[in-house]
Amino acid sequence: MTTNAQIPEIKEAARLWAIRVQDPAFADWDGFTEWLEADPAHSPAYEAALDDADWAADLLARAPAPVAEPVAATAPRRPWWLGAGAAAAAAVAAITGWSLLDHDAPAQQVATAPGEHRTIDLADGSQIALNGATRVTIDPDTPRHVVLDQGEVRFAVKHDAANPFVVMTGGTRLLDAGTVFNVVRDGDALEVAVAEGAVIYQPGPGEVRLAPGDTLKRRGGGAAPVLGRADPQTIGSWASGELHYDNAPLEQVARDLTRSLGRPVRTADGAGGLAISGTLRLDGSPDEIVARAGPFLGVRFTRNGEGWTMSPANGAVR
Amino acid sequence: MSPADNMSGLQHVVLNERGRLLRFLAARGMGEDAEDVLHDLWQRVASTPTQPIADPLSYLFRAAENLVRDRRRSTVSRDRRQQEWHDAGTTSEEMPQGERALIAREQLREVQGALAALGPRVELVFRRCRLDGVGQAIVARELGVSLSSVEKDLQKAYRALAQLRAKFDAE
Repeated sequence: MTTNAQIPEIKEAARLWAIRVQDPAFADWDGFTEWLEADPAHSPAYEAALDDADWAADLLARAPAPVAEPVAATAPRRPWWLGAGAAAAAAVAAITGWSLLDHDAPAQQVATAPGEHRTIDLADGSQIALNGATRVTIDPDTPRHVVLDQGEVRFAVKHDAANPFVVMTGGTRLLDAGTVFNVVRDGDALEVAVAEGAVIYQPGPGEVRLAPGDTLKRRGGGAAPVLGRADPQTIGSWASGELHYDNAPLEQVARDLTRSLGRPVRTADGAGGLAISGTLRLDGSPDEIVARAGPFLGVRFTRNGEGWTMSPANGAVR
Repeated sequence: MSPADNMSGLQHVVLNERGRLLRFLAARGMGEDAEDVLHDLWQRVASTPTQPIADPLSYLFRAAENLVRDRRRSTVSRDRRQQEWHDAGTTSEEMPQGERALIAREQLREVQGALAALGPRVELVFRRCRLDGVGQAIVARELGVSLSSVEKDLQKAYRALAQLRAKFDAE
């Protein structure tokens, strides 16, 4: 029964009924009854459709409407919503303009361009460093709650046991129990690495406590976290303008360079697992950084459109 | 028609269409509670402040649908209260108000983003129909688009919201 309710066609039909029944002009109650009777999965699917729409409506009800006033029915055929649509798009883009659920001050969104680094001092004395192509949301009212929307951030947190620092990312909570840690969010994938102190991943039953040098990687929202180790010295080192590697896979170097240079850096086929040790300074232009990086890391950089492909320096060019 | 006539009129319709309404309530998953809900409906239409009702039967089905939703909602929130009571000391301690607001805000942002990705009208149509309770025909006229465009916008919105919700539940 519940499995049938998961069939896409049934879900789609249920949503359409939910839309139609919701309309005050709906009159086909017998048709609706017949549809409900046709399959025991229809009723739960219909309930789920109602529930999803209610959920979104409740959230939206707390945010200001995208347009100031609905235009009266006397409005001419002119597609006025073109203008309103632009306003709605602007409201979504300028997310700072929305009022909070329980506070007055607006939340701020801070974003960096690819290749840009930025450091932010929070009101509580904590400092966060944003790597390139990163976006965070900070609410001045709750400076010890930061949302990582995407990208990489190194947190240097002023510890306060009575008022823990919390990082939210894609529904995952990270509770600071120490000082310095690095978080990467790439789509649904998450990586946490602790340089100093401790971080609690998903506090509650089944929580994971990460000590200095501990890393946690999760490939997707539902995937199980995988624990690993790294040299604490290398964790979040990009924020100081250097990348340190101690037996790190080449694909991690590629990802770090992509973020720091703002250009795509890939690994050649089969080279992603190559172990890399060394230090790389991030000052200068992307070309200068790449020119320096090759000998340091023992890899060859080959131009590839906007960016580069890395392959082992002593291996065959592919 | 005097108010008294109208009231008894609706109750009269409930009696006449008892079978159809019960069948609907059963299909709607009310099971053995169907009679119970019908009784609620009967009482409700007795005390409804009367105004002319264009289509009494549709009005009653609508009222029955709302009663079902109310029941479902109170069952769900009772279950949730019991669950919270059961979990007391863990979730409520560890999920302070500010954090809950933070989650809601992140979800709202994603909801708005998902609707915005579907085109400039979709959030507006969803809001007018779902939050303001305005009829689709009126919304279509307001926007200068066809009724089927409004329905398609709503379908897109519902589909995207279901996907988003499933994503959040998986996290």
